[in-house]
Order: sequence, then structure tokens, then C-alpha cells
Amino acid sequence: MAGLAASFGSGAMTNDIAGLDKSDVALIIGSDTSECHPVLAARLKKAAVDGKVKIIVIDPKRIKMADFATIYACQRPGTDVAVLNGMMHLIIKNGWEDKKFIEERTEGYEALKEEVAKYTPEYVEKVSGVPAKTLEQIAELFGRAETAALYYAMGITQHTTGVDNVRSTANLQMLCGNMGKVGGGVNPLRGQSNVQGACDMGGLPNVFPAYQKIGDAAVQEKFEKFWGVKLSDKVGMTMTVAFDKAYNGEMKAFYIMGENPMVSDPDLHHAEEALKKLEFLVVQDIFLTETAQLAHVVLPATSPAEKEGTFSNTERRVQLLFKAVNAPGQAKHDWEIHQLIANKMGLNWNYTKAEEIFDEMRKCTPSYAGLTYKRLGFAGMHWPCPNEEHPGTPVLHIGKFTRGLGLFAAIPFKEPAEMPDKEYPLYFTTGRVLQQYHTGTMTRKTPGLNNLAGPHVMLSVEDAEAICVKNGDKVKVSTRRGSIVTGAFITKRCPKGTVFMPFHFAEAAANKLTINALDPIAKIPEYKVCACKIEKG
Amino acid sequence: MISAKVKSKIESLMTRYPRKESALMPALMLVQKEKKNNLSKADIEEVAKLVGVTDAKAFGVATFYTMYNVEKKVGAYHLQVDTNLPATLAGAKKILAHLEKKLGIKAGETTADGMFTLTEVECLASCGTCPVIQVNDTYYENLTVKKVDALIESLKKGEMPDNKTASHWGSTCKVLLKNRGVKDATKLAVYKKNGGYTALGKALTMAPEAIIAEVKESGLKGRGGAGFPTGTKWGFLPKNNTKPVYLVCNADEGEPGTYKDRQIMEYDPHLLIEGMAIAARALGSKLGFIYIRGEFDWIADILETAIEEAKKDGQLKEFDIIVHRGAGAYVCGEETALIESIEGKRGQPRMKPPFPAAQGLYACPTIVNNVETFASVPFIVEKGAAEFKKFGPAESAGFRIFGISGNVNKPGTYEYPMGVSFNELIEAAGGVDGKLKAAIVGGLSVAILTADELKDLKMDYASCAAKGTALGSAGIMVINDQWSIPELALRAMKFYAHESCGKCTPCKEGSKMTVRALQKIVSGQGTKEDLANVERLVGTIKGLTLCPVGEAFSVPIRAMVEKFRPEFEALIK
Amino acid sequence: MQITINGRPVEAKPGQTIHQAAKAAGIYIPTLCYHEKVGAAGKCRVCVVEIEGMPALQTACSVEPREGMKIKTRTDRVLAAQKLVVDLLLSTGTHDCLACDQNGHCELQDVAYYLGMERGSFKYADVESVKDDSSEFVSVERSKCISCGRCVAACNNTVTNRVLDFKYRGHKAEIVFDDDKPMGESSCVQCGECAQICPVGALTDKLSKGKARRWDTEKVYSVCPYCGVGCKLELHVDRKKNEIVRITGAEGAPTNNGMLCVKGRYGYDFVGHPDRLTTPLIKENGKFREASWDEAITLVAGKLAEIKQKHGADALMGLCSAKVTNEENYTFQKFFRTAIGTNNIDHCARL
Repeated sequence: MAGLAASFGSGAMTNDIAGLDKSDVALIIGSDTSECHPVLAARLKKAAVDGKVKIIVIDPKRIKMADFATIYACQRPGTDVAVLNGMMHLIIKNGWEDKKFIEERTEGYEALKEEVAKYTPEYVEKVSGVPAKTLEQIAELFGRAETAALYYAMGITQHTTGVDNVRSTANLQMLCGNMGKVGGGVNPLRGQSNVQGACDMGGLPNVFPAYQKIGDAAVQEKFEKFWGVKLSDKVGMTMTVAFDKAYNGEMKAFYIMGENPMVSDPDLHHAEEALKKLEFLVVQDIFLTETAQLAHVVLPATSPAEKEGTFSNTERRVQLLFKAVNAPGQAKHDWEIHQLIANKMGLNWNYTKAEEIFDEMRKCTPSYAGLTYKRLGFAGMHWPCPNEEHPGTPVLHIGKFTRGLGLFAAIPFKEPAEMPDKEYPLYFTTGRVLQQYHTGTMTRKTPGLNNLAGPHVMLSVEDAEAICVKNGDKVKVSTRRGSIVTGAFITKRCPKGTVFMPFHFAEAAANKLTINALDPIAKIPEYKVCACKIEKG
Repeated sequence: MISAKVKSKIESLMTRYPRKESALMPALMLVQKEKKNNLSKADIEEVAKLVGVTDAKAFGVATFYTMYNVEKKVGAYHLQVDTNLPATLAGAKKILAHLEKKLGIKAGETTADGMFTLTEVECLASCGTCPVIQVNDTYYENLTVKKVDALIESLKKGEMPDNKTASHWGSTCKVLLKNRGVKDATKLAVYKKNGGYTALGKALTMAPEAIIAEVKESGLKGRGGAGFPTGTKWGFLPKNNTKPVYLVCNADEGEPGTYKDRQIMEYDPHLLIEGMAIAARALGSKLGFIYIRGEFDWIADILETAIEEAKKDGQLKEFDIIVHRGAGAYVCGEETALIESIEGKRGQPRMKPPFPAAQGLYACPTIVNNVETFASVPFIVEKGAAEFKKFGPAESAGFRIFGISGNVNKPGTYEYPMGVSFNELIEAAGGVDGKLKAAIVGGLSVAILTADELKDLKMDYASCAAKGTALGSAGIMVINDQWSIPELALRAMKFYAHESCGKCTPCKEGSKMTVRALQKIVSGQGTKEDLANVERLVGTIKGLTLCPVGEAFSVPIRAMVEKFRPEFEALIK
Repeated sequence: MQITINGRPVEAKPGQTIHQAAKAAGIYIPTLCYHEKVGAAGKCRVCVVEIEGMPALQTACSVEPREGMKIKTRTDRVLAAQKLVVDLLLSTGTHDCLACDQNGHCELQDVAYYLGMERGSFKYADVESVKDDSSEFVSVERSKCISCGRCVAACNNTVTNRVLDFKYRGHKAEIVFDDDKPMGESSCVQCGECAQICPVGALTDKLSKGKARRWDTEKVYSVCPYCGVGCKLELHVDRKKNEIVRITGAEGAPTNNGMLCVKGRYGYDFVGHPDRLTTPLIKENGKFREASWDEAITLVAGKLAEIKQKHGADALMGLCSAKVTNEENYTFQKFFRTAIGTNNIDHCARL
């Protein structure tokens, strides 16, 4: 988010799903697409099988998408900047960069050029483990493509260098002139159904809806007028910072809606202690989650099947949800609960249905201004959509970046916060599996999904052999934060030296092991790399 | 595990074809041979990975073709007894019964010592040299009970005896069978000495359009069975085409009663190669395929040797030919099924349009012609269309190899001008053995003719059509009065059901139901309703299937029922 | 262009097939193997029609009409052909509708009804039920399979999971998972596309067995609650029992065109799960007790106001959610910014 916003002026996925098979080449880096975004992966796989798109996969695991790839490269966790800089090094060296695009639509190119000059294939091989030859093939295929798209997910962002990684992807796509056209773009794949919408709606400490900045006098004035109250112009805290402050007693109350940080947060022990120190914790959810159990008050909400409203997907398509079933017991819509509390605190809200909220929202949210429930219809529409005549915007940055010129940034490679050493000799990385979702509060209610995927740790054949462990045997995985004992899943998809664990399972919560080291800008934790050791459990 | 040697062979096959998936069938066969004639699931998975197809696809291909022995234990000697119609007429059932008794197993079983597996198979294209048993890859023809005993004794000692055998032939035209009696005629030097490759030399000096025009003018019609004008077919290639053009020779000779193509390929392979090279010149093709039925393994070897020789001699400078072996599927004689098979898929016909000339092999323009058709081209180019038309009547120009089998004294292949009388051919074949009851004159899939209808029959397209049958592949099966037509109908029907590709419903399920109904009738359990079912099925299926092979049983079975109804009714309770 | 179907003038667009033109004009031509998404296969032969000037029957699913074409869909010859095809299918499979999950949604049932047929007339085959229940979410009943090939095409060309194909040939030809594995042991990821596209009861959703019949459910559009792709869902709801009995992907939706993953299609048990929260809870002495909304809201509002007053608005933090709607995220941040007066709002997007 922060990275793309700095480069382009907007943090959203730049392109649309429909244009996905219009690329000549697609680079997938840090996205286990078929596990985490299976239906989008299906379209990519089809495009590859039909010979429309050549796929390049760069991932520490030999993910399924690699089976459909023209080139697959395995990098050491946390070395994405080095690999991307190495690609750009070769692209510039061979003259495959888009000179016209750089000239007309970007700034800061010289700094980038100077920085990537150091990243020779030999150096990149040493740092990342990607063979120089493979890097050359990747750079050529990507650099010479007429149109190439780039897809990433948490494998790029969940690092202490997350913003660096993201800015490197933006650098690469501007360098090759792949921005602002169908089939190109930098495409972060959003991991949750309405994470895009939550951001769009101002669910962030530094912006109002539609990324209008807190502290900007004109913006402050607009919202004060619109909402009729005096507003704080002080940028708020991110969640990870807030947890630290709760831990040391500065924060007093949390109101958590529909999230379960007790499974999703890094270094769970720390998170639990922080929440326990709060004077007041309200949790609003559909289940008594691990987090809700720590609350002083729990408020029952409705599930997506029980309500009307909109979600904004990864490609910025706003789509309608309709009510299918009645909510159980006295559960209420989240907005109804907000309204009850707000009015109790002296405000005067009078919403009677979701559409009224939407219509209010779009009046202060320029990118949603032209959307109405009626217009959304069956297919939904892409924001930005400034007025009711506008058809929506499937591809961002055509002709001009949101910020004007695209901004290159010279990004030096930095090691992850915690590297394997003698005591903890292996890389530990986390992620999702196809059959489960996030903290499991929803998927784990379906027995069939649990039968298909329970807690486990993925090990390479070599690492399993070294500790004499067979498939299904118990393994004890330890980091400086703690230990978990769980079943081994031994696979050739895991390279030697890397251990992978899905984070869905509270009883074997991978985040007991992850490190609470944050990206300095985005405050995102480094879930994708830390050091671990394994023993027979 | 597949050996490194076979693996490297497969890898080189993958580069030989325009698309590597085409190597799937030959790869499976190579592995099967290495694994003592058996193919396990693990083998299939390994081949799938190597060739780059899904496990399901490889398994689907391996179980589609009968020559792959998937997960069934086949003995050291696989005795495959042809019992299709020509073989049955020649006494194959007796041979099979004898083997069952001698080995103490039923067809489909393997002896306890793992030595012999006995299998009843469909037409092996040995119609004039039946009964025939294919032992592993080797044909043993003209068998008698005594010869079978000697064969088994020899095999028990671990020796494959010599399989040379004589067959009858004759030619009044001396074109297609010109080199039939000539020693070493498969060799390039001999072929050239007898005037070979002069037509190609001439063709290379001609404009491609001129070659096509000459072939069009000759009136040559496809010799595979459908009889579509060859020149017209060639004219269907799209203009301004930028894709490669593929030339495919259909050598999947599988129509029961037909064994003419093998005479050309086995004894005069260069005639076919020359014909294809001329066609390639005419059509602008750089790569051709000979799709040969898998059972003709040794003939495929002959062709490959001849192609190598021709290449070395500079005859194939701008044209290459790949010999692609089938693996046991009659339906691959249908051109789109054949194309699918070359692409490494299950041999299932495609919907038309698009026709192969527009979108065939690897979605490129493709011309598919029969062996005999290509073999006729050198004569036309060298001597001219006018000379060609001197053979036969106007609408059925040219010479033709007639394969005669069944109840005649000298079954064999005879080259005559089109329009020759049925009686003259029978006389050439030594006359009828016994009293003539009926004959099927165009391969199994045409309407049977009674002795009465055969009296004044001329063997050309129009004359056959006038009698309500078709010249087809010119494979003539002669039936004497000791045979029951319902029994022959059932045997024929089992063939069609066995060869159904399973793609479209009427053929897939209809062929099976027709077999069941006929079985009931022949076993004496049938009722009027069963006969009515047969008639409903064969009556409705005509024109309803995806491809011509699907409906192929309709015409012959319907004609048998109509013309010999009393025999069927006599069996009904 | 103008064509006539059964004597009726019909407008056909270029590129349309006869079947599509007829459908647009409200004329039913039965199909079994054809599906918009996988295209014409020409396999079932049940869509045959007669076209003036063409001797053979033609498949409406594949033939594109030409100007002035005269088409007949219900001649004796067409009906005889269709009846034979359906008769063969009914005779060779276990097409018993009573317990079949597909009842009311079965395309073979529809064609048989259109032709006035109930049972197969060929009594030669001994048809036994052949089932494969090894998969968590999809039931396979091979004896109901009509070999239309839709599932194979969809598995390979739509969802591109490449698990399915056909094995053997002739009447023995049937679908195969990998190299002949039970579905549950194959590499299938259970996306359920095959079950969604199956025209008969051969591949069905296990979770829906014994639940409300198709005609007793109502279809409601929604969006998948899981990853960010935003697949459009059709929730099939039993209104009487207030439960979701099936989820299908919305065909034609720009995000997923009918496709879903195993979670999106089958992971809906959470909605009606007994563990759902049904009343507000207030913790007392370390234990939760049920409370009324009034009590809970009063407590929350009071406590938030109290802390704000004592420690300042910035001592409060709100976590909004990637799982609730835009409208609710909007009201939440508005609540924090206006009622509390802080910009301490964040969400779990980074996690």
C-alpha cells in the first residue's frame, strides 16, 4: 500500500482480472497464487496452457504455479529486492528498458540506474541463490515482452523490507513501460474479501475515505462540514504500534470488529499480554474467537450471508451482497451496532439500510462518487468512478499516474531482521493453504475442510531426512519466541533449508514463532522470514 | 523406472515432432516393450511427466488403444488371434478353439506358467492370408491346426519360428503392384532402376498449381473408402495461408476385408514416398506423416528405412516424413481421429467443420490421403491424367488393388482397372470355394449383396451404388452357403462395438445395444422385439453420429437383416 | 440475419449457433453435452435438427445459421433420433430420480420430459449403481454419467486443474481421475466446478444431499467472504429452515465466471453454525454472561466515554475489518473519528 502509493500515488492493484490473459508475460513473485487466490490462479493457468501468457515464478517454495511456468526460480527468503534489482540491472544493460516511458512518465530514473548497477547476476546469485543464468533468462523473457504483468501478495509485503520490495516491483514495471496498459501493471493480490474496501473506506490511521489525508486542512474542513463535528487532525496509530503501546499501558481501550489478532498477530504471546492489559476491550464478531474470549464485552454481528452491502475486491471492483438468511438470535449488522453506540454517546444517526450509508459515503469519497447500487448491478464496477456517467476504471494510471509522474526509488538490498545462525539454522516462513482461510474462524467450521487440511509443517526432503522424520511424524519447530509440535508434511516443493507453516490454526499457531519485527514505514510484520530449528517431536 | 536409454529415446522423439505431446504414444510403446510387454500405472505416470501431459491424459491414451497392456499381466508370448469376418470365413474360430483346448485357457486368459496369453483380436489386415495369429509383434499367416501346433511347440522352446509365407497376387495394370514380384524392390536402387523417382523429378520442375490441376483432371478419387476426389480435396487448402501445411498418409488399414495398402508399403515403399513427395511439392508441405496401424510394426520399419534411403539420395530435400505408429484403434482410420492420435491424444474424431484442410494437425491446414491414393500420384504426374483415365470408366478412373478374401480358392490382392467385373476378379482369385451365397465388396461397412445381385456387378463407384452398396475400400469378402448370416452379423457388430471410440452417445451405447440384441437372437432366445430393436437402432443411427465410423454398422447390419430376414426370423422363438 | 425455425421467423446474430439463436427466441432445443462455458462438443447428439437442403441431421449446438436457413426442431425424424439417444442413456444408466440430488435440475430429466419418456426400453444391460464417495465434497455416481465430457473440459480448460480425462473407449469409456484413482485420492483440489457443470446426477455436492430440493430453494447473489478475488456467489437458500443448502459460482460473473475454490463453494457451515454468537456477552468475574442489547450498548458507550474523558481520545483504538462491508467500515471509522475523536483506526490488511 504505502510502497505503491509512494511510486504511483495510489496503493491499489493497478489492473483488472479480465485483462490478465492480455499479457505476454506474467511475473509471479511472493504469491502462492493457486493456494491463496485459486480462481485468479485458474485464469492465469488457463492463459499459460492456452499459450497466451508465459509465466515466470520466483518463490522460495516450488509452488503449483511453477508447474505452469516457463521459468521458475527459487530465491532465499527475504532477498526479493536483490532479485528485482538484478533483473533491472540486466534489462538496462541490454537496453530492454522502455526509454520513452521513462522519459515521459517518470522521475528519479538516474538514482535507480546507479543503484541497480551493482546488482550483477553473480552478486545476485550469491545473495539470493538464484543462478545467474536463470536470472538472465528471466530478465530477457520479461524485459523483451511487449506487455508484462507483475503479481505479488504477502510474500512481498510481509517483510521488514516490505515497502522496499513493493517499490522495487513498481520500479521494474515503470522501467519496462508496463504501467497504464491492459495486461500490465503492478498487481498486489488482496488476501481478504474486503480488505480493499476497508482501506478505501478510511479504515486507516492516516486517511479518511478515498485516501484523503488526515491533517490536510482542506480535507479536514471538508469532513468536519460533512459530518458536522470537529475532527482530530493528528494521524492515528497503526495496529502493530497500538499493541506495543497497550503492552506498556499507554493504550486503554480497543474496539475490535471482525478480526482475530490473537491468531493473526506476530509473536502471539506479546499480543495476548497487550490485550490483557487493556482497561476495556470490546469485540464485535460472529464467533467467540480467541480474541473475543479476552474481551469485556462481546457484541454479536451478522455474517456476510445475512446482510446487504458491498465488498471491493482486489481489482477495485465494487460488488453487491444480498441478504440470504436471517441472522441467528439477536445478532445485529455491524453498522446497526455502530449506530446504537454512536447515538448512545450523543450523536444522531438515522440509517435504516446499507444503501443509505453507501449513498452518504459516496458523497465524501470521490473515487466512489459515481457508483450506485443500481449501477453496480450484476457485475459490479471498478473505482475510480467520479460521477454517475463514468464507466469505472479497470486499469489505473493510463496516460498519467495518480501522483503525476511515476517515482523511481533507488532501493538497496537489506537482509531480513533475523537470519539463520548456528542455533537456529533454518528459514521459517508462513502463509496460507488452499483449504483454510486466515485465522480459521470461518473455514474451520466445515469438517470437510479440516479433513483436507489440518495443522502441519512443510519440510524439504533433505531437512526431514536429517532429523529422521517421515511424513506425518511429529516435529518440534522452535524459534527464539517459542516452540510448536505438529505433524510433518514432507514435500519436494520445499527447498532445503526452508520450513513453511500455515498460520490458520490456533492450536498450532505459527505466529507463536514469528518475529515481531516491522517494516519501518508500513508497520507490517516480517511473517515471511525468521530463523528456526527443527527436532523430532 | 524407465531406463536412461529409453528416456533418451523418448526425449529425442519429443524433439522430432512439432509438438512434444505427439511423442506420448511412441513413448508408451517404447516403455511397454522395455517392460516385457506390460505397462503399469507407475510407468504411465513417469511417461506423462516426461512428455509433459497430465496423468489422466496419459492413462486415457494408454487405455484407449488396445495394444497397450495396462495393468494386465501378459505372458511371454501374446497370441492374438484375428477372428474378424475374413478370418472367420477362413476358419479362424477353429484355430482359436484349438488353441483354447491345447493351452487349457480361454481367450483373454494367461497360462499358469505365464508363458502364453491368448487374445481374440479384430482384423489384422491379413484377410487374404487368414487365419492369422500375431505373436507379440510378429504375424503368422495362412495357419492350419497343424501349423499352430508346430508354432506352439517352437515357442515353448523359446524360439520364434520363421514367419515367411506366400500370398496370391496378380496385376493387369502393372502400376501399384508393378514391383510386387521384383527381388529387393524395397531398396531404392531397385526402385529407381525400374523408373522410380522420375515422376518426382518431373514434379519438381512443375508449378505446384500444375500438379494439382493434373491430379484434378485425372479424376483420381480417394482410395481409402469414401471416394472423395483427391484434386478437389487438395484445392480446399486455404489461400494466403501462413501456417505450416501438413501432409498425412492414412496407413491405418483396418477396414475388415482390406489389406491392399500393406502390399504397397511392404513391397514398394518408395512408391508411397514418391507420391507423398509429389503431393508435398504441390501443396507446399514441409512435413508429412505416415500414420500406420501399430500392428504393422515391421512394415513401419521398412518405411523408415526407405525414407532414410530416399533422404540420403536427395529425394526428400525439402520434405520430411515421420512414421507414426498407431496402437490398435480402427477409428483412427477416420481422418480427424487420426490427427488427434498424431497429436498424442485419444483417437476420437473431431466435429466438422472445421475440416482438416482448414484446421487439421496442430490446428494447421492438413491434407489426409490414403496410401493407395498417394501411390497413384506418380503415375498421373509422369504419364499424365489422360493416360490415367484410360483405365476404368469415366467417373471411376484408374487402377485399383482389389483385396479378395473369404471363400475363394486363391484369396489375394489383384490390381485391375476400375469397372472390372466381379466375376472376372473371382476367377482371378481361383473361383468360389463352395456355392456363392453373398459377398461384401467394399470392406465390411457396405451393404452385403446376394449371389443374385452379384451376377452382373461391375466394380466401380456407380455400378456399386446402383446395386445399393459401395465400392468402399475394394475389399471383397466372399461368403459361401455354409455360413449363417445372423452369426456373421453378430461377429461384424461385435467388431463395431469394440472399435467405438465412445465419444458420441448413439455409437457408444447404440453399438452395445445392437450387439446385445443380436446375441439374444443368435443364441435362440430372441423375440420379435429384439429384431425390431436391431432395426430401430440401425435405422435411426444412420446420420446421427459424430463421425462416419459411428454409423458404419448401420448400413451392413441393416442390409443383412433386410436381405436375409428369414434366417433371422428362423432363430426367433 | 433472418432464419426460420419451425416456420417462425427468427433473428440470428453472426457467430451464433442455431441453438443460441433458438434459445434467444424462446425455442427449446434440448442439449446435454453443450454448455456455454465449454462450448459445443457434438457428443450427445440430442440437439439435432433438420435443415432444409441438408440430407443429414445437424447439431444445433455447432452449426451456425446462414441467411434464410429453414430449420425444423420437431419433425418425426428429429424426434425419433432424440428419443433413441435418450432411450439409450436411460437404458444404460441408473437414472432413478427419486433420491437423486439433481432432481429438478437435471438436463436429462428435462429432455426425457420434453420427449415424453420415463424409462429406457432396451432391456439388455444389467445396470448397477457404481459410486465413488472418497472425496470430501463431491459424490461420483458413475452409473449416472452420460459421458458428456463437460466436467473433463471444465477441469482442463476452465479451472485448469487438469485432474479429469476419459479412460478406455466405446461403451466402457468413462471419466478418470489422474491415472485411475478414487476421486478423494487424486490430485483434485475439490473446486467443485465439475459438479456445477454436470448436467445429471453423476457429480454432485455432498453437503447438499438430503437438503431442500432445487425447487424449494431461492438463489441469492453474494460475494465470497474469503480471499480478495471477489468471486460472485449464488447462495441457494431454504427459506423455511433459514439455511444455505448449496453455493454455486455465478456463471458470467466477470471475476469468476462460475468458478469457485473449495472454501468458497463448500466452506459455508460457519453461517448456520451452533457456535455463532446470538446475544451480547458481558464478562463478570472472568466469565461471560448473556446480556441485552440495551445493557451492552449502555456499558460500551459509557465505558468508551469514560476512558476518553480520563485518558484522551487517543487512548482508544479501533480495528475495522476486511471481512465486513464497505458500509460498515465506513460507519466504524466515522464512529471513531466523530464519536471518539481519534484517528486510531486500523485493520488487519497487513496480516
